[in-house]
Amino acid sequence: MGSEYYVLIIGYIFGFYMAWNIGANDVANSMASAVGAKAITIRQAVFIAGILNIVGAVFIGSHVTKTIRKGIVSTDILADPHLTLIGALAALLAAALWVSFATWKSLPVSTTHSIVGAMIGFGIMAGGFSVINWGKLAAVVLSWVISPVLAMVIAFLMFKMIVKFILSKEDPFAQALKLAPYFISSALFVVILSFLFKTPLGKRLAIGTPLALIVALVLALALGFLAVKILRKFIKITNLSGEEEVFRKIQIGTSCYVALAQGANDVANAIGPLAVIYFLVKTGSVGAKVPVPIFLLFFGGIGIACGIGMAGHRVMDTIGKKITTLTNTRGFSVDFAAATTVMVASKMGLPVSTTHAAVGGVMGVGLARGLEAVNFRIIFKIILYWVLTVPAAAITSMVIFKILQLFL
Amino acid sequence: MRIPFISMFITSPFDGLQEHAEKVKECAWVFQRAIECIIEDRCEDFEHFRKDIDKLESEADAIKRRIRGHLPKGTLLAVDKFELFRYLSEQDKVLDVVEEGLDWLSFRAAAGIPQALEKDFMIFVEAVMNPIEALSKMVPEARKYFSNFSDDQRVVVKDMIRTLRQYEHEADKLEDAVKEKIFNTIDDAVTVFHLIRLTEIIGSIADHAENAGDMMRAMIAK
Repeated sequence: MGSEYYVLIIGYIFGFYMAWNIGANDVANSMASAVGAKAITIRQAVFIAGILNIVGAVFIGSHVTKTIRKGIVSTDILADPHLTLIGALAALLAAALWVSFATWKSLPVSTTHSIVGAMIGFGIMAGGFSVINWGKLAAVVLSWVISPVLAMVIAFLMFKMIVKFILSKEDPFAQALKLAPYFISSALFVVILSFLFKTPLGKRLAIGTPLALIVALVLALALGFLAVKILRKFIKITNLSGEEEVFRKIQIGTSCYVALAQGANDVANAIGPLAVIYFLVKTGSVGAKVPVPIFLLFFGGIGIACGIGMAGHRVMDTIGKKITTLTNTRGFSVDFAAATTVMVASKMGLPVSTTHAAVGGVMGVGLARGLEAVNFRIIFKIILYWVLTVPAAAITSMVIFKILQLFL
Repeated sequence: MRIPFISMFITSPFDGLQEHAEKVKECAWVFQRAIECIIEDRCEDFEHFRKDIDKLESEADAIKRRIRGHLPKGTLLAVDKFELFRYLSEQDKVLDVVEEGLDWLSFRAAAGIPQALEKDFMIFVEAVMNPIEALSKMVPEARKYFSNFSDDQRVVVKDMIRTLRQYEHEADKLEDAVKEKIFNTIDDAVTVFHLIRLTEIIGSIADHAENAGDMMRAMIAK
């Protein structure tokens, strides 16, 4: 028993390291457009992202995690607890190392895809190629295309709509205030729906899809109009034009949502394998699903927040200086597209990453001629790293698995 | 530090466009002073002005190359890339023509401008300055339009382009008047040739400014 507690301690360390990396790598995605559009300051961004990631992880994060993320590897390999222990450790460390490398080299990788790749590596070592669920792997590949394209289309349409119904009108400020309820409502609609569909809290309510849609619609509209009532009180005309000021306020809300969703989604990437180790050590066996104790989620949330705290300032600083042409109407379009894409894609069961969605959103606004200059071709470079992530994490995981087998 | 999210955003060509328009304006001022200097007879600074223009021209050239060189294939802009290049090229031609004008004057610097025509040339050059100044004011206004897409702002830019066209028209009328006066007051064929050519060069400064305005009109078209 003694040696297994050492394994658990190592698991905690690797898990924290992975969570830290998620924070450091992904902080730019959720807060970049808000900081770039000067909706919030760097200090606020780091603070909001840190707190909301913890909140998202603990209260919305999955309290039951599938042992193998996204069911990509058959659960048959879990039969041998000893192998599973080594595998979970190897996968955790491999994913963390790859994300670390990516953060260091500033590569746009997805933490979700890293852990998926690492699990594949472990699966191959433990059970050979036959245990890989190729259909699920195809879904991963599909998500490389679907999430940026969907975000691009949504951002394009959203920005075109803002131009048509607000900016090009005679009094854009009055028009923005008049239409703000609908924009806020549609953002809230996405938020409420994703809470109902994706969170354990929502699942416990067990509302069917049609009812959920109606509930979300009514709630969103009501809250939207309420929000604008409050907005009208707080709006201050600064040197910005009025319509941008309206979207500035809305954007604070949307970036909070992205941070919250990020914490909820990504915490499992670090905590999932850790939960497996925890259960193996405590009970000696695992099934296809394991309950995740609250303190583990909190532990993961803290890890993410630490990563954000350490790397966030530097990242945000660069973003604030480099992205100067992103105004609040554009930032809102990007945020809205990213959040909606994450919601829709995960409803479809695709492993999406906020990185992909955010990149697609910027491209969409660029296509709508909303930005002075965006380099479209960078997307090919970005796609290359997305594609590389899965095999890179898989191979790292296989190597670590072999090494760990020697010692454990 | 390179962050993928950031590497999508590249330097806006509008920064350069504005800088370039400022250089054109500066150049036009130097040109005006050089012409005044020639007319004041004892012009010792003429070569100095030419050097200034040369320097400004090469600086503007560097800006132009920087804009063109920093828009890789697949760049999404608020405007059509080739319209932007056409605009830039017209704005740059204003500079080239200013430089050409001073060069042309220098070939016969000693003779200068005949006294009878001094006043006409002063007025003519003054008239050509207007469209250039309008050009440098137009760029930031157009940029504002691409940022807020407001119809009011679009009208502002359109009005500026219209004004630019009017300035060019006035400069055209003055050009004709100056040419007529040259033929009627000067008998020496060489002087006539020198002055007529000079008039044409100065006149084309306004033409290129107008062309730039027309390209801007195409860029803000819906």
